[in-house]
Amino acid sequence: MEFQVPSLNLLIVLPVLIVTGWGMLLMLAEFFIPEEKKSWAPWLTMLGLVLALIQTIGLWGYNGGTFTPKGGAPMVVVDNFATFLNIIFLLTGILTVLISIHYLRRTGLDRPEYYMLLLFSVSGMMLMGMANDLILVFLALELLSIPLYILSGFAWPRPDSEESAMKYFLLGAFSSSIFVFGIALTYGSTGTTSLPLVLERISDAGMLGLVATAMLIVGFAFKVAAAPFHMWTPDVYEGAPTTVTAFMSVGAKVGGFAAMLRVFVAALPQLGEAWVPAVAGVATLTLIVGNVVAIVQPNIKRMLAYSSIAHAGYIMIAVAASVNSPDGVSAALFYMLAYLFTNLGAFAVVIALEHKQGEGVMLDDYKGLGKRRPWLALAMAYFMLSLTGVPPTGGFSGKFYVFRAAIEADLLWLAIVGVITSVISGYYYLRVVYLMYMYDGEGEVVANRALVWTVGLTALATLVLGLLPGPWFDMARDAALQTVQMVAGG
Amino acid sequence: MVPLSWYLLVAALLFCIGLYGVMVRRNAVAILMAVELMLNAVNINLVAFWRYLSPERPVGLAWAIFVLTVAAAEAAVGLALLISVYRNRGSVVAEELDLLKN
Amino acid sequence: MVEQIVFILVSLFTLITAVVVVTNRNLFHAALALMASFLGVAGLYVLLDAGFLAAAQLLVYIGAISILIIFAIMLTRRLMHALESPFNSQWGLGAFTAVVAFAVMAGVIAQFWPVTPDSVTPLASRPEVSASILRGSVAELGRALVSSDAYVIPFEIASVLLLAALIGAIVVAWPKAEDE
Repeated sequence: MEFQVPSLNLLIVLPVLIVTGWGMLLMLAEFFIPEEKKSWAPWLTMLGLVLALIQTIGLWGYNGGTFTPKGGAPMVVVDNFATFLNIIFLLTGILTVLISIHYLRRTGLDRPEYYMLLLFSVSGMMLMGMANDLILVFLALELLSIPLYILSGFAWPRPDSEESAMKYFLLGAFSSSIFVFGIALTYGSTGTTSLPLVLERISDAGMLGLVATAMLIVGFAFKVAAAPFHMWTPDVYEGAPTTVTAFMSVGAKVGGFAAMLRVFVAALPQLGEAWVPAVAGVATLTLIVGNVVAIVQPNIKRMLAYSSIAHAGYIMIAVAASVNSPDGVSAALFYMLAYLFTNLGAFAVVIALEHKQGEGVMLDDYKGLGKRRPWLALAMAYFMLSLTGVPPTGGFSGKFYVFRAAIEADLLWLAIVGVITSVISGYYYLRVVYLMYMYDGEGEVVANRALVWTVGLTALATLVLGLLPGPWFDMARDAALQTVQMVAGG
Repeated sequence: MVPLSWYLLVAALLFCIGLYGVMVRRNAVAILMAVELMLNAVNINLVAFWRYLSPERPVGLAWAIFVLTVAAAEAAVGLALLISVYRNRGSVVAEELDLLKN
Repeated sequence: MVEQIVFILVSLFTLITAVVVVTNRNLFHAALALMASFLGVAGLYVLLDAGFLAAAQLLVYIGAISILIIFAIMLTRRLMHALESPFNSQWGLGAFTAVVAFAVMAGVIAQFWPVTPDSVTPLASRPEVSASILRGSVAELGRALVSSDAYVIPFEIASVLLLAALIGAIVVAWPKAEDE
């Protein structure tokens, strides 16, 4: 038999295939493994994610695409941009599994479906970075979101978990229908949804292209939790199981930005005059709302929810800078890498303090942690400093690159807004540190080995990104260049 | 002959009716129904663009099928969540979901 | 001319039932109106020579999604007769947003494609296509969905998406007896 599949190169999409296939494998394996050995699920999941990660790292430097429709551009591209982001998504998945194992057992949520849905969501995120066609972006967005709707309602029997899942679902479905309307208008105004072809034709689309762009911005803003489309975030982050909160605060956000960068920088740079001010405006509003409202939150999960809104604002500064500054995209990529380690590390500490479901998540529970658990408290303090942006932390390096890119792109005012809001954010981040060291308090801390490892690794990574950002930023620059070259090549 | 813009205007109107419904309704099922109206508007657009701009290539039709699939998946998940919330609370919780408030 | 009248009637039917969906206090009636609105959209597909999609619309939207919604309404009976107002306090904002959004879109559409029926711009009038191509478009669509040089990848992602939704719906709806 003869196969003629010239346009097909499955090897380069192997990481995604491994992750989705692994999800299905888990489903089948569930039938064959007896009830008392259910503890295999997380480790099997981890194995799949690590395999995919090895495969992804092997693709570094590759630049090509596959699944090319006749007379069109590839629907899936693998370049350093996608590979860099895939590494972020797979690391997010691996770290989430690590923090989930013990948490799920002690809260009675340990079911294999959790890991299946996690894998499906990770594959959706990976496709967000690789999608080169708007319809694929839409499907990847849904594949990312639908498992997350379920996962955020996973904290049974807490009623607020399912209610927040409901709210997340309704707003998510609403925003994706706006998003797909934007895709339909793009299709109508350019006759295509393939990003390289959109790039060629969008300048003739006139006003219709602008309306479509506006709808795409709204869709992305919902997904990355940017103001004024952030209303769902605090409730969902509070209601969801903390491990899921950690997962979506990084994964869903970076996934949204992955597609946003690809679409806006690779396909719509000509409309930059229109969307850069819009994105810059959204970024300003997001920074102000996120950082100011976070101050009054007594619950650490809600506080971190507003903090994650604020960080979406910083990444948006880089997105706004990415048309006029060569370092915009790479600053965004580096920022997301640093944010991955810092935020997951902080959530790992939150999980260690949450001894029962929904208990131990108030800021007052952090009183006296410095005496009870000096190392854990030290790590938490370090993560808080990194989220604030104090050197030498990954958070500081990320903010430095983002603000530099903004200044290069003549968005000095946006960089100033970023600096001022960072100073404001110091108030609520450092209050956690203050509570940990200046008060006495009691409370159970459940730090098992996987959790301690996670905290240690993420703290180390944050430190490395803070002390030696250079090589990592060069990596991000390699990843970004590919996107820009693709623009130049058409 | 019906011009393309008529279809697009109907789709835009249907979309905005759905938009209004999502923003003002309090009941989760009602919001879901409004979202379905919006997705239908998307499909009218896609099919109209297919027929008027490129009837020889079935791009718009294929995209409409994908939107249909996503709508079905969303409806399944949403209604499962709704029934679960109802069972958990045994009351009309969905009515108290004020979506646009923190 | 006949086509225009049919189009206007079908569109009015679709839009009026859609308005009933978002305004009726009785959820059950709203769901029935939703079915009618889906039917109207199927009619529009027929007018657009997309018979296959009209059939899919009937099967999926009316046959599956509407029935699912009606099931959900029946199972949560108390939702049906809301005592308080079914609208939240934001109806003013909602109406304003919807009107503005429509005004913007209508303005742009009218600027892009002429609204008058007899204009001869290539973008406005429907290209004449032989019946065989239209009939063949379904076969073409079927092939495209499974060809690697067409849309097999979105097709596969859509199927994974359905699987994830299926697992998710089961996880949510399954009685959590072992936890009680």
